[in-house]
Amino acid sequence: MMDIYLCLRRSFRMVGDIRMKTISNFRWLLATFVLLYLMNQVNSQKKGAHDLKCITNNLQLWDCSWKASSGTGHGTIYEVCIENRSHSCYRSEKTNIKIPALSPGNHEIIINSLHDFGSFKSKFILNEKDISLIPDTPEVLSLSADFSTSTLYLKWNDKGSVFPRHSNVIWEIKILRKESMELVKLKTHNTTLNGKDTVHHWSWASDLPLECATHYVGIRCYIDSLHFSGRKEWSDWSPVKNISWTPDSQTEVFPQDKVILVGSDITFCCVSKEKVVSAQIGQTDCPLIHLDGENVAIRIHNISVSASSGTNVVFSTQDSILGTVIFVGYPPDIPQKLNCETRDLKEIICSWNPGRPTALMGPRGTSYTLFESFSGKYVRSKRVEVPTNESYQLFFQMLPSQEIYNFTLNARNLLGQSESTILVNITEKVYLHTPTSFKVKDINATAVILSWRLSGSFAKINLLCQIEISKTNSVQELRNVTIKGVENSGYLTAVGKLNPYTMYTFRIRCSTETFWKWSKWSNEKQHLTTEAIPSKGPDTWREWSSDGKNLIIYWKPLPMNEANGKILSYNVSCSSDEETQSLSEIPDPQHKAEIEVDRNDYIISVVAKNSVGSSPPSKIASMEIPNDDLKTEHAVGKGKGILLRWYHNPNVSCDYVIKWCNSSQSKPCLMDWKKVPSNSTEALIESDQFRPGVRYHFFLYGCRNQGYQLLRYIIGYIEELAPLVAPNFTVEDTSADSILVKWEDIPVEELRGFLRGYLFYFEKGERDTSKMRGLESGRSDVKVKNITDTSQKTLRIADLQGKTSYHLVLRAYTDGGMGPEKSMFVVTKENSVGLIIAILIPVAVAVIVGVVTSILCYRKREWIKETFYPDIPNPENCKALQFQKSVCEGSSALKTLEMNPCTPNNVEVLETRSTVPKIEDTEIISPVAERPEDSSDAEPENHVVVSYCPPIIEEEIPNPVADEAVGTSQVIYIDIQSMYQPQAKPEEEQENDPVGGAGYKPQLHLPISSTVEDIAAGGDVDETAGYRPQANVNTWNLVSPDSPRSTDSNSEVVSFGSPCSINSRQFLIPPKDEDSPKSNGGGWSFTNFFQNKPND
Amino acid sequence: MLACLCTVLWHIPAVPALNRTGDPGPGPSIQKTYDLTRYLEHQLRSLAGTYLNYLGPPFNEPDFNPPRLGAETLPRATVNLEVWRSLNDKLRLTQNYEAYSHLLCYLRGLNRQAATAELRRSLAHFCTSLQGLLGSIAGVMAALGYPLPQPLPGTEPTWAPGPAHSDFLQKMDDFWLLKELQTWLWRSAKDFNRLKKKMQPPAAAVTLHLEAHGF
Repeated sequence: MMDIYLCLRRSFRMVGDIRMKTISNFRWLLATFVLLYLMNQVNSQKKGAHDLKCITNNLQLWDCSWKASSGTGHGTIYEVCIENRSHSCYRSEKTNIKIPALSPGNHEIIINSLHDFGSFKSKFILNEKDISLIPDTPEVLSLSADFSTSTLYLKWNDKGSVFPRHSNVIWEIKILRKESMELVKLKTHNTTLNGKDTVHHWSWASDLPLECATHYVGIRCYIDSLHFSGRKEWSDWSPVKNISWTPDSQTEVFPQDKVILVGSDITFCCVSKEKVVSAQIGQTDCPLIHLDGENVAIRIHNISVSASSGTNVVFSTQDSILGTVIFVGYPPDIPQKLNCETRDLKEIICSWNPGRPTALMGPRGTSYTLFESFSGKYVRSKRVEVPTNESYQLFFQMLPSQEIYNFTLNARNLLGQSESTILVNITEKVYLHTPTSFKVKDINATAVILSWRLSGSFAKINLLCQIEISKTNSVQELRNVTIKGVENSGYLTAVGKLNPYTMYTFRIRCSTETFWKWSKWSNEKQHLTTEAIPSKGPDTWREWSSDGKNLIIYWKPLPMNEANGKILSYNVSCSSDEETQSLSEIPDPQHKAEIEVDRNDYIISVVAKNSVGSSPPSKIASMEIPNDDLKTEHAVGKGKGILLRWYHNPNVSCDYVIKWCNSSQSKPCLMDWKKVPSNSTEALIESDQFRPGVRYHFFLYGCRNQGYQLLRYIIGYIEELAPLVAPNFTVEDTSADSILVKWEDIPVEELRGFLRGYLFYFEKGERDTSKMRGLESGRSDVKVKNITDTSQKTLRIADLQGKTSYHLVLRAYTDGGMGPEKSMFVVTKENSVGLIIAILIPVAVAVIVGVVTSILCYRKREWIKETFYPDIPNPENCKALQFQKSVCEGSSALKTLEMNPCTPNNVEVLETRSTVPKIEDTEIISPVAERPEDSSDAEPENHVVVSYCPPIIEEEIPNPVADEAVGTSQVIYIDIQSMYQPQAKPEEEQENDPVGGAGYKPQLHLPISSTVEDIAAGGDVDETAGYRPQANVNTWNLVSPDSPRSTDSNSEVVSFGSPCSINSRQFLIPPKDEDSPKSNGGGWSFTNFFQNKPND
Repeated sequence: MLACLCTVLWHIPAVPALNRTGDPGPGPSIQKTYDLTRYLEHQLRSLAGTYLNYLGPPFNEPDFNPPRLGAETLPRATVNLEVWRSLNDKLRLTQNYEAYSHLLCYLRGLNRQAATAELRRSLAHFCTSLQGLLGSIAGVMAALGYPLPQPLPGTEPTWAPGPAHSDFLQKMDDFWLLKELQTWLWRSAKDFNRLKKKMQPPAAAVTLHLEAHGF
């Protein structure tokens, strides 16, 4: 196409020239010419070369090829000429030719095809841009594999020598797996061509162990030459090379015994001739991935840390198992707390904490290397197992004349490494060994020498040692000493300022002067310092014996710090101007001596002696200076002691001595004393023997002019308590209005404090009844007298009542509290005048009353007779009865003459239209207990409240069967308030009575609440069918006169005492409202009297 | 009981009464050896539990019964019943002695390999016990007048975990070592029981049922 284009362009250019020159006359001629020319050209091209195509694979030679025309046969020779060069032509019999690379730009190529029958020329324009750069197919030099690491190693030559210029090359490597050649990886690899043949290496780690499947590798390349402007293309793939494994045993599992990082992904595979049934890692089953043949694999993602013996991976076939162990762990942690120190300046001990456990043990464990950079020396740890939390140690021998060390600790295992560094000046990091062979030796009573051994080379440094000195009951003392260090030797130091004859405990520890750490304490050593002479004489006091003939000398044992040894004996001497008496070698436990002397002034001297020597003498004068102005004072202690105070006495020149007895009794006096300097004005006396509530006597002596004067006498209590007993009191005198009480002192031992007064209580009261309770609580009837004058021993109580028992109580009190009380009952004497008056007045009153009564009775005798003893009228003269009789015998229709106004009562009447209410006795008694069928039938409509007037009903019934007694009695016994009408007509009741169906029935059926009467009545009903008294007397008795019912039924009750018959009582019963004795017709009884009483 | 057995264990190798001059005869020492095998069975049960747990699954699974892959050098305890019956006392004791000699050697190798100190202590304790059993068997053989088998030079088993020996195969060997040890202790108990009864005529018939049970 390119040559055709060039020809056409040329033809058109020629056509344009002709047109410009010949104008339109030659138009047809020209057109014909052009057409012929074109035809000629086309024919000539077809017969020559066409489709020129050039490629290069090394940028130096272009391999151009073309297609020959169809007419050209064998034997055609092509002459290729490049026009713009110096007309270089190449001859070729083939349709391709290699020409040197042409410079950039267009080049005219003329290919002249020479045939037997002529030649054809073909022209082409060739540019570098039209050239394709296709590198030669690379060739794999070698493919090898490291099965242990599942790594493929590829080697090939880039053949860079054929390329004139440096070029970048991209290599593409493909990895295929299994016999089916599955592509598993396509990787690129960049290199540069440097004009020389270079062999390149490339490796690839397979996730699948190489043993389990065949792996194939192929490679191609792409040259990215910057100076080449043509098209660049990938080379062809090289022929693949493969890697396969020849099993040396029947079955294997891969990888074997591998160490990997926690969380990694890993593939295990099994090369097997048998079918693998299952696979498991640890306790977990895994799905199988089938490879070539019976080979299988399993893929584990994010594998977890192994146990100490690793994680087992097991593949099971039908009759065997095979497996491998994988060790999953961590790379070593950075060593923590790395510290280097020395204990003897010979060897450096570096210790550290390994940090996070690697979970890898044994030969896979972490190995440590301690490297010292200044000296270049190192030590390496053996792979010994150390408990996880314990620190690791490495020992590095110190180098002479090197003090500063720069240590790097490297931790390494199969998964990685880490390191930690430390720079130390080792002379400042000395942690000495514990001092050994520690000994103590005496120098004198107050100094010892301590010796000990310390291994190490400390000749160049000073040691700082700390000595702990402790003695019993004392604080520990620490003393630091600096000692020049020596080479592996013992050390000595003196310790002074000790107390003689004292048991000390020593121990020592050391460091260097540039302090880093104290060593551990050495063993303790106890040592008793030697004795020295007592530093002071004993504290001395003297007393004259009671007869004044002997002088008793007391002294106190020396305290340990003054005795300076064991006191063996004392020497006592009394010397005056005239004579000297001595008592020598008084053995130690004795602290008292008695010397018979006359009343001269003596100087007493006491000396204590121990095995080393005698103490300085302590001296005291025997003279007592009298004191006329001596007062007794009181003192009360605080806490454990008593503080005594006095005014400064300028005459006292030596000291004050306070003497006391440690017992409240005068004998035996456990004497003690205390000396205080003369400038003191107070002293706190303390003693373990002081007890609260015990009286102590203190004597304050002042020393002057070599004699002692008693200055004060003080009575004191360490603490006051309440008196232990009550004062013993008696009644001295008793009168009608006063009592004189006398009491005694309480003994000092029982007083237990300074007596502050007495409390006297008195009140009226008998011995048995009166109890002095709450005397202090201010009861108004208890009188209290507080006697604060402790010298008062009697008390007269005045203003008392005569012949009255008084309860007296006395108690004493101190500042410590109230003592117990003592009580006594005293009866005051009788007052005789009062008694006489008390008899006379009632007698006189009785006489007067009697006289007045007699007079009144005499005067009113008629009235009295009328009232108390009236004349009884003769019944035969009673008109009223005569009249009544006629009435009774007359017509029954005749009415009563007069009626009391009817007192209406509300009576509930049960009416029934058709059925007769069946009312039983029990129902009458208890209206509440109605039978359900009864109430349902009758209640709603038959409850009618009606006015009821019993007497009228009674009188309107003339029928003797319906006896009035029945009616009245019914009315009497009905509780009106019950609103229940039990007065069912007597006839109906009789008809319905199941018991008394036949024979006579008592009209009065009154089984009221009394059980006794029930039984009686029941018995009557059951047993007797004969006559029954109509008026049951018992029923009358049922209602007591004062019962509320009696008010309603008084008319009947009254009849009890009535002289008339029952039938006539209507007229005898007085009206209810009437209570006048007159209207009673002169009838008066107690019953009536009481019945009316409630109405009053 | 355990303390008693321990005492026996420690004293047996040193007891001179086990030699031929002993008046009571071999009876008591056979009884003691029998007791010792029972004690070692008990001790091994505890050790095996610990060690198999250390080996990890599937070795500590109750039904794990792998083929005897690399443990061919271990002395086999399982034997045909007829063969076992036909053994005489000397051969019986010699086999026991040789087996425990080998097993003890392997066990010491196991101890060196163990990764944890706790396990090493347990193994060392068991090795001491097994040493005692070996001494005890030697005592019985001496009492019966049998010479001790002399180890041939070069046949002394060594513990050499070479690079070809993978960790997994090593674990399999450990497993089989413990298993064989247990089977041997069972067999020894039978052996000494039989021997004991033989020494106390009339001897009762002994039936042997030896099977390799799983742990």
